[in-house]
Amino acid sequence: MASPLFYALSAIAILCALGVVIARNPMQSVLNLLGSFVALAAIYLLSGFQFLAAAQILVYAGAIMVLFIFVVMLLNLTDREEGQPILMGLFNGRVIGSLAVFAGLAVSGLISTTGNFAAVDASAHGGDLDNMESLAGVLFSKYMLPFEAASLLLLATLVGVMLLAKRERSGSQGGGQA
Amino acid sequence: MKDYNLLWLMPLLPFLGSIVCGALHFATLSARKKNPEVGAGPGALAAPVAILAMVGSFVVAVTAFFKLKGLDAAGRAMGVESSPWHWIDMGPFSVDLSMVVDPLSAIMILVITGIGTLIHIYSSGYIKGDPGFAKFFAYLNLFVAMMLMLVLSSNLVGLFVGWEGVGLCSYLLIGFWYDKGWPAEAGQKAFVVNRIGDACFLIGAFLLIRLFGTLDASDIAAGVAGILENGEQMKDLGLAALLMFGGACGKSAQFPLMVWLPDAMAGPTPVSALIHAATMVTAGVYLIARMNPVYAACPDVLFFIGCVGALTAFIGATSAIRQTDIKKVLAYSTVSQLGYMFLGLSTGVWAAAVFHLVTHAFFKGLLFLGSGSVIHGMHHEQDMYKMGGLRKHMPKTFLTFMVGAAALAGLPLLSGYFSKDEILFLAFGHGGGYIVLWAVGLISAAMTAYYTWRMVALTFFGEERFDVDKVHPHESPTSMTMPLMVLAVLAALGGLLNLPHVLPGYGVMKHWLEPVTDLGTRVFEATGFVESHAGATTEWLLLALGAGVALLFSHLGFRRYLNGPEPDMADARRAPGLTGFLGNAWRLDGIFEIFILIPVRLLSEFISAIVDKLCIDGAVNGVASMAKLIGDDTRKMTTGSVKSYAVWMGVGAAALSLLLIWI
Amino acid sequence: MNVPTEHLLILAAVLFSLGALGFLLRRNLIVILASVELMLNAANLTFLAGARAHSSVGPLNLDGPIFALFVILVAACEAALGLALVIAFYRQKQSVDIEAAAELRG
Repeated sequence: MASPLFYALSAIAILCALGVVIARNPMQSVLNLLGSFVALAAIYLLSGFQFLAAAQILVYAGAIMVLFIFVVMLLNLTDREEGQPILMGLFNGRVIGSLAVFAGLAVSGLISTTGNFAAVDASAHGGDLDNMESLAGVLFSKYMLPFEAASLLLLATLVGVMLLAKRERSGSQGGGQA
Repeated sequence: MKDYNLLWLMPLLPFLGSIVCGALHFATLSARKKNPEVGAGPGALAAPVAILAMVGSFVVAVTAFFKLKGLDAAGRAMGVESSPWHWIDMGPFSVDLSMVVDPLSAIMILVITGIGTLIHIYSSGYIKGDPGFAKFFAYLNLFVAMMLMLVLSSNLVGLFVGWEGVGLCSYLLIGFWYDKGWPAEAGQKAFVVNRIGDACFLIGAFLLIRLFGTLDASDIAAGVAGILENGEQMKDLGLAALLMFGGACGKSAQFPLMVWLPDAMAGPTPVSALIHAATMVTAGVYLIARMNPVYAACPDVLFFIGCVGALTAFIGATSAIRQTDIKKVLAYSTVSQLGYMFLGLSTGVWAAAVFHLVTHAFFKGLLFLGSGSVIHGMHHEQDMYKMGGLRKHMPKTFLTFMVGAAALAGLPLLSGYFSKDEILFLAFGHGGGYIVLWAVGLISAAMTAYYTWRMVALTFFGEERFDVDKVHPHESPTSMTMPLMVLAVLAALGGLLNLPHVLPGYGVMKHWLEPVTDLGTRVFEATGFVESHAGATTEWLLLALGAGVALLFSHLGFRRYLNGPEPDMADARRAPGLTGFLGNAWRLDGIFEIFILIPVRLLSEFISAIVDKLCIDGAVNGVASMAKLIGDDTRKMTTGSVKSYAVWMGVGAAALSLLLIWI
Repeated sequence: MNVPTEHLLILAAVLFSLGALGFLLRRNLIVILASVELMLNAANLTFLAGARAHSSVGPLNLDGPIFALFVILVAACEAALGLALVIAFYRQKQSVDIEAAAELRG
């Protein structure tokens, strides 16, 4: 049962990736990316990485893609651009959106059948691969340093983004120039 | 062997004197820059400094001599020595350097420091007023230091250091007035010809190392006896002896490397006196005397040395007959007398050569200084044809010069007579092929008397051939005439040092040198070489013959030129025929030019044009242009287009990952 | 539920190459950034596939998921900063065409 699902999901992922590369409109491109992310999350789930699937949806699909779409709309890039390679009319936003919905349904379907995907391969371990407990245990002991560094990285990103995206002020207000 | 560490003072004092004089020279230069009117400036101090250094050195030499005298014969063989300095250590070959005063080097150091001091005093008068006053004394002192190093070293390596050092100083002093063309070229010629000799010396030294494993003089002497039976090694020894003689030829101006000595007259006259009469040119003779066991073991090489010596004596004497420059006469005369010294060495009686070395230093030094006095008084005129009748104007110079000339010509009872006749007697007495050498030597002696008195007649007698209004010859100052007088006494009485066997009080020097020459004598006993067969009667006959020849030819030469030169003898160098041949020293310079200089010049031009310009410059420039080409190509990568950068990043990443996978 | 590891890796490879192609061939900055995200995702997938394979034959390998987590985190930061740069770039050049950024031509 899982195997055909896997191939279907991977087909979706690949097609969406193709769409990212080929799409004329940057908006289309971004939406295709979204679809690809969702498909990948489903694949993670299929492989037994529950937490990571959730993280993928939350961070990638939820935050990063939103940011992309936000910027595309801010800069008003939704119109077509000139002189692009291969245009396939198939890969416009509607088709993609539907494919994304389908992927989401598949994910929810999978989640609803939780019991069926304990360890994917007959693992010698009783516990799951992506058990929250075990992950947390490792994260806060062995990978404590990267964890803390990551928080610094986020802080730096915060500051950097604020500085970069600031609108230049014309006039005598000298402080806070980007 | 006594430990006499103060021996180091002997070369050290002149060396320090040289440095101080050099500093004084630079002080003078900077003083002159500030104020061009200053005369000698601080440089005037150079003369007293240098003379003081020389006197100090002489004192040490005399002290060492007396110390040596105090030892018995065995002690004298070892000599007075300073403690050795371990210089080179290369495993099987090591060099321990120490200063050794044995009978041979004792004679040398007395000559070097004694006559050196006299010449320093003379120079203070001769070089006065020259802008390079201090520099001259610096070079002169350095020369003495190097020469002392040469004769005092216990090891051939130290000797070679001194050897090269005196070559350098000779170059510096010949080319002292280097802003004129001739002195600079002459200095270079001397150095280059010397170099040829040095190359032979070095190869000979290498052979000796191969044979004996050491270059220590006493060790080699001891080692010679050990290999007398070994035919293979004896051949090597003969070759080494020959090569070292080649080195001696270069330094002592024997045929064919004699061409530099006449040109060395470009230097100031004190230089000619010290370096090219008394000391440096005798280094070759000293070397062979020091290595006498080696040469004693090779009688064929000895005969060859004799031939070269006799030939050189002949060439020198014949060339001197037709010279017009007073210094050139003396230069060729020196070449000739050096030939005699080597002839003396070849008879196996080393003391005879050393004796002639000493007397030659006396009378030739005297003659050179005297000629310097004449030149000084004639305002640097050197052409004898423009002199004449000077005896009225320079009495002291004239008298001392006469003594020197008499000694050189071999007039009886003066030093030159005894030393030259000793050599000729020994050559005659040896028999065999040496008879020919004796005959050549006798003819050369005749010619020596002839040209010497020709020189005297042209210079001091006859009518005055110079412009009386323009030239006012005058006697030289005391600083110059005093050394002349001292040397005159030595030249007159020097014969007492080694009278012939038939006279009472004979052979003082020969006896003195026995501790050193005994090593050679023992080898002679082993090889069956007999030095001389002649008896007392022969000796008396030859003494009489020598006296007669000298007197006759002196008289002939004097009479012939009393009334001035022949009308067609204006410049012997340009004259055709025999005169030109002799005047140009058998055209040796021309032969060198054709056979050596021109091919070398062609070769260097070829290398310069083709090898240097095409190949090497081409390669270097080629590398540079290749770098430029590559740079031009890769410059095209900076397009400014981010996409192309991204493409290159991707290509690089792919290549790296491939590399990581495959390696 | 048996997904062979090789298939996961093949998928990851295909996604990565597509991302690389988009990165190199497209001129729109937004699309380029999106391709980068795609490549990061493919790398994540590789990590997880590897962790899975290791765990099935040895001790439980948690390095994979942890690393993938951190990749997601870093990708988020990078995307944020990249987009901020896009905005700044747009302000200067009034375009998001990468060919406009050719001032260092030389």
